[in-house]
Amino acid sequence: MVLAGAASLAQRADRVNELNVFPVPDGDTGTNMDMTMKAGAAELAAKPSDDVGRAAETLAKGLLMGARGNSGVILSQLFRGFSRAVSGQRELTVPLYATALQQGVDTAYKSVAKPVEGTILTVAREAARHGMSLSRRTADIAEWMDEVYRKAVETLNRTPDMLPVLKQVGVVDSGGQGLVYLYEGFVRYLTENGGDHGAGLSGASFAAEPVRAVPPRSPAGIGASAETAAAGRTAQARLATESIAFPYDMEFFIRRPRVGRSPFPEAAFRRTLEKDGDSVILIDDGDIVKVHVHSRRPGDVLNAALLHGELTELRILNMKDQHRELLSSRDHGRPALNGARQPRLDEPETLGWEAASGLPAAGGGLADPAGSDWAEEAPNPAADELAPYGIVAVSVGAGNEELLRSLGVDTVISGGTSMNPSTEDLVQAVSSLAAGHVFLLPNHPNVWMAAKQAAELAGRPVTVLPSTSVPQGMAAMLAFREEDTAEANEDRMIKAIGNVLAGQLTKAVRDTSMDGVDIRCGQYIGILNKTIVTAEDGVVEAARSLLGRMLASGDEAVMILTGEDADPACTDALLGWLGERYPQAEIEVHEGGQPLYPYWFMVETV
Amino acid sequence: MRPIALVTDSTADIPPEIVRELDIRVVPLGVHFGEQSYLDNVNLQPAEFYEKLASFGGLPKTSQPSPGEYYNVYKQLTDEGKAVISIHLSSAFSGTYQSALLGQSMLEGEGDVTVVDSKTASYGYGMMVVQAAELASQGLSKEEIVERVLRLKAETKLYFLVETLEYLQKGGRIGKAAALFGSLLNIKPILTIDEEGYVTAFDKVRGQKKAFMRIVELLESAFPDGPVDLAAVVTPGRTEMAEELIALLREKFPIRKFSRSAIGPVIGTHAGPGTVGIFMSPASLS
Repeated sequence: MVLAGAASLAQRADRVNELNVFPVPDGDTGTNMDMTMKAGAAELAAKPSDDVGRAAETLAKGLLMGARGNSGVILSQLFRGFSRAVSGQRELTVPLYATALQQGVDTAYKSVAKPVEGTILTVAREAARHGMSLSRRTADIAEWMDEVYRKAVETLNRTPDMLPVLKQVGVVDSGGQGLVYLYEGFVRYLTENGGDHGAGLSGASFAAEPVRAVPPRSPAGIGASAETAAAGRTAQARLATESIAFPYDMEFFIRRPRVGRSPFPEAAFRRTLEKDGDSVILIDDGDIVKVHVHSRRPGDVLNAALLHGELTELRILNMKDQHRELLSSRDHGRPALNGARQPRLDEPETLGWEAASGLPAAGGGLADPAGSDWAEEAPNPAADELAPYGIVAVSVGAGNEELLRSLGVDTVISGGTSMNPSTEDLVQAVSSLAAGHVFLLPNHPNVWMAAKQAAELAGRPVTVLPSTSVPQGMAAMLAFREEDTAEANEDRMIKAIGNVLAGQLTKAVRDTSMDGVDIRCGQYIGILNKTIVTAEDGVVEAARSLLGRMLASGDEAVMILTGEDADPACTDALLGWLGERYPQAEIEVHEGGQPLYPYWFMVETV
Repeated sequence: MRPIALVTDSTADIPPEIVRELDIRVVPLGVHFGEQSYLDNVNLQPAEFYEKLASFGGLPKTSQPSPGEYYNVYKQLTDEGKAVISIHLSSAFSGTYQSALLGQSMLEGEGDVTVVDSKTASYGYGMMVVQAAELASQGLSKEEIVERVLRLKAETKLYFLVETLEYLQKGGRIGKAAALFGSLLNIKPILTIDEEGYVTAFDKVRGQKKAFMRIVELLESAFPDGPVDLAAVVTPGRTEMAEELIALLREKFPIRKFSRSAIGPVIGTHAGPGTVGIFMSPASLS
């Protein structure tokens, strides 16, 4: 059923992308939701279960790690709540389904600092509410889901009345539309397979799917055949698979550094281990921490432990040698993402750029769309080399990356304007730093929620800064001081972000009227922080108009980051104009190399 | 009580007329342009130095005075029946202080010599030397003078701007501000010298105007009221920026005493041309 939903969404991701209201060429609600859903489906396909509780848990874990963009994160939170509600249950009944949808909505609302109505949240909430009241009247799950779906459609159609910006542009909410497509897939599956074992949430229904959400996995080189992984699995095989979920019995000691060590973060470390293991025992004796865990990924456990000290007396046993070939089949989960198409460029999501929602706005990206198996590739930082701080920034363009690094950023995740990094990408970047505390600069509104989610999953202290553009990220870095406390740095960096005017210049991708500016497709639009302030036919004219609004006293320091499409002649013309009009301004130009945006500008106001 | 004599080294950048007036003994460091050697502020004056620096394709080398040179000065003053206070460049930057200590030990218990590590540079401790000399002429005891000097040191705020971090970097004197060197942006670091005597970046801002504003802000919060003494050190030649900053400070603060000094060859070698340093202390201490 999940896979049918995912397929329904995938087929129309482009349609969802087109619903983005902001006429700028980045951010992709459809792509983000599609890729998030695919990550969940892939995890489920790799670890199938007919037991709804387990299947939902697997799905939720996959979604959580694969979440991209704000709508993707909300989607993952909907299913996270869902999976908690069905935990321990074998079959999905109507009352359980209704409760689970409701709990999903509750969880999703909690994950958003300032929920905005007229978005995916509203659609999910209204549908769940309707589902709850309906659950007392019908036990037919297909019929019930159909009603829930209809309520979702109805709510979706009302979103323009709730969110003025949607009405202005004349569209329904893109995230809400994505959810509706997902539900539509559920309904289709339930109607076609109504009689089959419960609701068939699990991957066991994979082979029966009329539409493939996930490319079929290659059966070559692995123990279990594709058939085994899909519907043909026997109860016995399933039992075996389940019982060996965490086959590596590990025991070792962490020798804590003598100097400059902070208290062992026992709770956070336990969470890290429990992400992919059980039977965790931790005994913190100050100088030595004893660790016992049954894990699926001993490499992850060792890497995580290395952050806290030197390892000694390691013992690792494979508890189920005889089932090794079955075990290896799970390793397919993540690579299934490899087949994900490159998303097309489209506009940002309602929740990010637009609805204000208190979420910050600007550019995230994806270092490795192939979604390689993150934790196992993380370098092993030596405990004695643990730096007090590490900094991860999301940015696009080789020049911008170099500038950020020169300001002290350790890891730059490339992407943002056209592709949002997943929670997993961010977790990986954070985890691979040998640092006690990590600052994360999302630098794009659509990366904010995934960054917050990554911070929760990283198993170490992470501060997500509200930078919504690369220039803001640079301003934050200027305020960073290695010798200050994390709190003092957070304050300084947030202040610095607030003291920056970030200007972005790009081409409109559709006719629209926004922020009081009439825009024709193909015109250059100037965005000041998050507001469109100008639209002109020529790039130089638009840049002048934008810069004119950014320079107040005229003697400010102006930074210009040229994009890959910037024409040197235009840059010269702009510099000539600036020199004449603002002779007191201190101007510096760098080749940023960002796509889609010929110019980014930064002016500090204080 | 023995009369007190003040000894320092040439990197205190004390203007020559004050050195003469207060009879301060200055032990020069060496500056070497290739084979050509000069004595800092003795046969190589600041203005001439920056001309040479501009035409000399690399960085000159600098050398600390030998313990023997200090010994000679201490010995002579001791023989004249004087007690000595000897205040020097931060030991984090130079072996000058160590050299002075060795010179003192060569007296083998003879005489009365107190060697002080100023943990700062240029007129930052030049000011201490000048004040100590003034207090000595007023007849204060050595203990009182040293105590007053340490108080002045504790209450003086120092910020400086360099045109480029290159010189600090090449001279290895950049300390905790080292990370800034790699920056590709036009950053104006606001530098200071920390309690251990190392150069450290207090703040990083873009643009000169912002840097000035930040310095004013920092000083305003350090000296919210009451008159202050201001000392400025600048490298000769490129003074336009320095004059602008000084004018701004004179406008913002009730300044009782203003002194100005040129950054000499040795400090100039390590800070580079286009450096301006601002020292502010409560007027009550002078």
